[in-house]
Amino acid sequence: MKGYRKYFGKKILWFIITFIAAVILNFVLPRLMPADPVSAITGKMASGMTDATAVQEIYKRFEEEFGTNKPLITQFFIFVRNLFRGDLGTSFSQYPRKVSDIISSAIGWTVALQLPAILVGWLLGNILGALAAYIRKGFDKVLLPIALFLSNVPAFGMAVTLLVIFAVKLKVAPIAGGYAFDMIPNMSWRFIKSVISHYQLPFWSIVLVSIGGQAIGMRSMSIYELNADYVKYARFLGIKDRKIVGYVFRNAMLPQVTGLALSIGTMIGGALVAEIIFSYPGLGSTMYSAVTAADYPLISATTLIITIMVLIVTFLLDIIYGFIDPRVKAAQFDA
Amino acid sequence: MKKILAILLALTMIAAIGSTAFAADDVSELPREETLYFAGQQWGAVNSWNIMGTNQNNSMVIANTSGYRSLMFETLFMYNFLNGELTGLLADSYEWNDDLTEVKVVLKDAAKWCDGTPVTSQDVVRTWEVDAEVMNTAGGSYSAFVDSIEAVNDKEFVIYAALNDDGDPVNPLKVNDFLIEVPIAQAAWIDKLVERCGGDTVKILNDPGEDVVWSGPYTKYFCDDQKVVLIRDDNYWGQDASMWGKLPVPKYICHAIYADNPAGELALKAGEVDVCQQFIGNIQDLWLKDDLPISTFYEEAPYGVCLTMPTAWYNMNIPVLEENAALRKAIAMAVDYDTIIANAMTNQSPSFADVPRSLMNPTDGEQALYDHAAVKDLQWVGNDIEGAKALLDEAGIVDSDGDGWREYDGEKISLNAVCPNGWTDWQASMEVVAAAGDKIGVEITTLYPEWDIYQTVFTNPNQTEYAIFMWSPDAAKPSNPWTRVNQFMGSDYIGIENNWSGNWGQYVNEEADALIKEIPLTTDKQDLIDLYTELTEIYLTEVPSFSLMYRPSMFHAVNESVWTNFPTGDDGRNIPPADCTDGYGIAALYDLELVG
Repeated sequence: MKGYRKYFGKKILWFIITFIAAVILNFVLPRLMPADPVSAITGKMASGMTDATAVQEIYKRFEEEFGTNKPLITQFFIFVRNLFRGDLGTSFSQYPRKVSDIISSAIGWTVALQLPAILVGWLLGNILGALAAYIRKGFDKVLLPIALFLSNVPAFGMAVTLLVIFAVKLKVAPIAGGYAFDMIPNMSWRFIKSVISHYQLPFWSIVLVSIGGQAIGMRSMSIYELNADYVKYARFLGIKDRKIVGYVFRNAMLPQVTGLALSIGTMIGGALVAEIIFSYPGLGSTMYSAVTAADYPLISATTLIITIMVLIVTFLLDIIYGFIDPRVKAAQFDA
Repeated sequence: MKKILAILLALTMIAAIGSTAFAADDVSELPREETLYFAGQQWGAVNSWNIMGTNQNNSMVIANTSGYRSLMFETLFMYNFLNGELTGLLADSYEWNDDLTEVKVVLKDAAKWCDGTPVTSQDVVRTWEVDAEVMNTAGGSYSAFVDSIEAVNDKEFVIYAALNDDGDPVNPLKVNDFLIEVPIAQAAWIDKLVERCGGDTVKILNDPGEDVVWSGPYTKYFCDDQKVVLIRDDNYWGQDASMWGKLPVPKYICHAIYADNPAGELALKAGEVDVCQQFIGNIQDLWLKDDLPISTFYEEAPYGVCLTMPTAWYNMNIPVLEENAALRKAIAMAVDYDTIIANAMTNQSPSFADVPRSLMNPTDGEQALYDHAAVKDLQWVGNDIEGAKALLDEAGIVDSDGDGWREYDGEKISLNAVCPNGWTDWQASMEVVAAAGDKIGVEITTLYPEWDIYQTVFTNPNQTEYAIFMWSPDAAKPSNPWTRVNQFMGSDYIGIENNWSGNWGQYVNEEADALIKEIPLTTDKQDLIDLYTELTEIYLTEVPSFSLMYRPSMFHAVNESVWTNFPTGDDGRNIPPADCTDGYGIAALYDLELVG
């Protein structure tokens, strides 16, 4: 038990250090961009103004309001103080909307789209990869090229292809949005059906691309494990094939589980392409527009969410590995 | 299991929707035959409905292009860029005094707020007081030109122009702009707003204005991250015979929020959008090849009314450009504008042979403001490589070391041509400019920074990073072409930080400046023509910038699968192609008919 306590204590310490570094980077990196977001807000307001002095006044007011006229270090401490209060600030690009309001309205869509897509893609990919490794023969010869092809299709290519085939040509799927263009959100079956039908193309565009990568990874790991010494030894001992396969795939799964956890951690950024192509609401497109508009508070908030999610899943993984994988446990205790 | 999962997913999304939607009434589906759908005006979710605020990102109701978008909030007059006329909206008439120091405005008797109270002079006075105090868009735009507004009685008021040191009005033309650009708010609501914000400017500007009082034919109905819906106010005062005499035809106005232009274009093609304010390349293919019921204002090229001129600005902070008008003119002469217009604009612009270059947009009103014959020899249509080379040779800008590139002061001339990344038509134009340089021995390389960087640099009056860069001057309003000419050559913007207003190349010409300052106080038509002609001569000789194409300030494509009787160039109604929303373009909403 003492070993576990030491192991987790060390992990927690490292995660705190990583978190602090991430917060600093989240704050500093966007501000290193050679862009002035206050000028952009002023520009939106000043478009058509011919009185340059008035434009100047407006610029100064925004500078004061956003605090961008203060030294960077002062801005940082204000940022941290507000963070502790749960205040992520005001968006530059969607001023005067609060960042927390923007995120709360978008995050549900992203999670609802990405989480099932990642899980389904991961599950299908791993099953196919394992089958390819185990059955080999024709299955492998057909599956591998298809998986390779799919995993190499860029996400935007897959999204556009699905959009053109199913929405534009066949007209069996909607072309844009999270629900029908002529609906107002309400708790009716028709609306729910509309949400589900708008969900299909973005969902499959993510699933199809991820299946390939998962299948290839799982196939390689499984083949490696199938040829491992312990498998040969088990066969010599006369252990049934089904039992051996169970061990093999459990071992082959370990790196795949890590991959899954990281995919979940980074899912907000991953939804970007599907969200943009299908005009689907969510945090991915919010983050993209924040980056293009040098919207520091919004960039910092979205990247902070990704950072926290990655940290949490890797932390949980480390803990779970510490319990389930004897090799990891042994290595940690040895250290 | 699958069904339960699907329902759970849907519920998650509905919860997400619920967190932003401000209202969901009993109508769950917008009847197609009562709803007019838009694309290309609203990008991103609405921030606020506060007409006295700022950055509302509420383009369907708070926007100015070539006239105010008066669906919910109304201005005193509506502008018609087809003929330059001001049609009364909240106001009936206006009259300047002889000295151009004050203008008396009479409000319409029938004009009312949504709560049934009449629109009065006090509303106008209070609107301007607070506009000027908080320096919102209206305050910032007009504080230099409007001194004050005083009520004569409930229906009459006087706008006093700001005066300069000589006692002359600073610029009466800008006061005319005020009449068509500044939306009027209800004084009682403004007082409520100011009170709840404790008079704090920032709070007033940032108030969401959910309780705002309006006078226009539509009001907010629903909005979230995916759409904005307006509903007709069936008590709208404008159904009075003194205004429209009826209500606008569509009960709902809906603008879905698309991620980008291609998404909006797809929706237009699919019939999910009726009115589209987006550039669509080769738009004629939609009806000629795809056989879709889509049309534009004119059936033939340029399909729309071009009001502005995307322009390449020379950076005068770069000595080789500042010191050599010959170099500036040579590059401009060598550019193949027909290629730009054919490729970048897919012929949705008249050519420079059709509308010779000047300071004017292609509308008849502006074209009549200068003497075409007087500047004929100075105009160029482009792709004149030999002429450009000869001009450079004559100026002594030659290739003395035989490397194929011309030198100035012993150094190779090396410039860049810059516009924001992703602005594809502009990028195509910059490529043509670079190719022109190549042909005349002047190295021009293209550079496409991201928009946030581009806007930071080009608005900096001291920047030397961009040599030739693109931006559009003003389009159409009562003060044009003066405003545009001032943007091309006026000294008001020299050295101004965060310069969004004009003269982005920082060109200084005292003679031009003096002429520009004379125009606002000149009322004689011939005198105006003389002034504008002289300025055009200077512009075409000095070439501080050169326009690359003509372009509408709003694109206007309509899909007639549900609605028809949209304005067209030959229908005699004189309704401008302003997407049925802007300035006098809103008149189109009252004439719409259902197909079949």
